[in-house]
Amino acid sequence: MTHQAHSYHMVDPSPWPILGAAAALLTTSGLAMWFHYNSPYLVIIGLLSTALVMLQWWRDIIRESTFQGHHTPTVQKGLRYGMVLFITSEAFFFLGFFWAFFHSSLAPTPELGGQWPPVGIQPLDPMDVPLLNTAILLASGVTVTWAHHSIMEASRKQAVHALTLTVLLGFYFTGLQAMEYYEAPFSIADGVYGSTFFVATGFHGLHVIIGSTFLLVCLLRLIKYHFTSNHHFGFEAAAWYWHFVDVVWLFLYMTIYWWGS
Amino acid sequence: QGLKPLVPTESPAPIFGTSKPSVLPATEPFLGKNNVSDLQKVFQRSDGLPVHLKGGVPDRMLYRTTMALTIGGTIYCLVALYIASQPKNK
Repeated sequence: MTHQAHSYHMVDPSPWPILGAAAALLTTSGLAMWFHYNSPYLVIIGLLSTALVMLQWWRDIIRESTFQGHHTPTVQKGLRYGMVLFITSEAFFFLGFFWAFFHSSLAPTPELGGQWPPVGIQPLDPMDVPLLNTAILLASGVTVTWAHHSIMEASRKQAVHALTLTVLLGFYFTGLQAMEYYEAPFSIADGVYGSTFFVATGFHGLHVIIGSTFLLVCLLRLIKYHFTSNHHFGFEAAAWYWHFVDVVWLFLYMTIYWWGS
Repeated sequence: QGLKPLVPTESPAPIFGTSKPSVLPATEPFLGKNNVSDLQKVFQRSDGLPVHLKGGVPDRMLYRTTMALTIGGTIYCLVALYIASQPKNK
């Protein structure tokens, strides 16, 4: 039997990359069919196939690492680089929306009444639910760090408690933000204020949901003994992503919610 | 065993019963026992199967469902895009 003379992972042939690309095609074309021809079937098939591909691809990565032992320190280093680059790209994504916000709010046009917030817009009170949401995300940053230290010290019960709290705080944020969206006196259609507010906070909310889901998967893996005190990169990646989501919220809160009111 | 408690030899006390202690005995692991080594044996079998099919029948079913949905959806997509690209009738 041949053995490799290097510490990299040569993966088995997999259908998920191309099926993932096809799923992206279906989702995007499906959006066009939904917006312009009022037919939701293609976007539904697209979202379903995307979910199935994600589930199976990440399931396979867990098999390759935890059950087959392919994640050597060299492989783990590559994954760390990958996650850092991905989060950096997400930071640039949000930078664009912050640019748009400052473009419109630093020099408000006469059509807005020459002021920010524009005439007729009643902004949300930053000291109300948004402040609570800030506290929730900051607390979740503490609990996820507590969970990490518990994992490194092999304290199983504490790690489960801390990670469960983190996930619950994440879902609490999402619930509160959904309620805020429902109750807001302005909508996305209310000029450039509505656009910048809901697109920036909306994409942030989507990232909170993604991050909470990633942490929930880590909780399930933690319960199933997948992590060791030295090797738990999946959890670290989730924690990095979660801290990123927290930082984006702090910028949103300071600029759009507080300065922008 | 997983999340189920160990089967006792005498009749089991209900969880909220007062006749037996409701605390888990010290020998029970917290939230299920560690069966990673069993899974390691399963996924390291030399059966030549790629990792995405190595779990057996459930893997095949999921794979076929995903393939059917994606291939079918792509055909639907190409037809829909072809129709959408036709000029509107006067």
